[in-house]
Amino acid sequence: MSFTSPIRRRRDGRYAVRLSPQVRALLGSLAEQMIPMIDSDDPAATRLFPPAYVGTHTSEAEQQYRELVDGALHSHHHHAVQVLTETVTADSLSADELAGWLSAIGSMRLVIGTRLDVSEGMVDPAPGDPSEPEHAVFHLLGVLQGTIIDVLGAELPDDGQPASAR
Amino acid sequence: MQTVPAGDVRTDTDQSVAPDRPWLVIVWNDPINLMSFVTFVFQKLFGYSKEKATKLMMDVHVKGRAVVSSGTRDRAELDVYRLHEHGLWATMEQSG
Repeated sequence: MSFTSPIRRRRDGRYAVRLSPQVRALLGSLAEQMIPMIDSDDPAATRLFPPAYVGTHTSEAEQQYRELVDGALHSHHHHAVQVLTETVTADSLSADELAGWLSAIGSMRLVIGTRLDVSEGMVDPAPGDPSEPEHAVFHLLGVLQGTIIDVLGAELPDDGQPASAR
Repeated sequence: MQTVPAGDVRTDTDQSVAPDRPWLVIVWNDPINLMSFVTFVFQKLFGYSKEKATKLMMDVHVKGRAVVSSGTRDRAELDVYRLHEHGLWATMEQSG
């Protein structure tokens, strides 16, 4: 059986991307929709900014954490979506660009998955269900994310790295 | 997991006391992130072996949460932030 992964590492260290124009157009459209979403107070977007402290007596600490990181976290998500937007038609990506794709696709899955209220072991919607297209997009993003993880995960040492390398 | 995790087990009421107790970084189960992605993030961020990262991921998946790192409050906050960058549901609490 011959199967070529849509994303694979080339000898020169870049990553070849083989995706259909339709998938690229979909990714571009989703990235465009993500830009206003990141800064919105849409309940699905809040999943991109999880609490650091939970339980009682932590509201002050949580507020301090939010003040400390929210700017950087917004920038992080925006940068990833921007990288995806700018490289969505590219035949190959640098390592940094592929990391941007992974991050942007992960954010899209979080937003769409939250909106769909996905749960573990959830069955696909019946044909004709209004949520069917969005479920299909969610599934496609999961496949793409899995492909990128396969490529990048293979580059990590199985036996880990010393903590000093963190 | 769509709501704020309710499993905070800390019993102290003032986190400013006992600064010598380490802070624990906890990752909570969520139904969206792929198991392979969670394992990948643990390997990448913490330099854990694939075996250790996979075990922690399974703890998160089966038990609902796992302590993935610990240290000073600043260190824990940085780890939580890096996990949030990757979309994982991470919180921190002082060990009791």
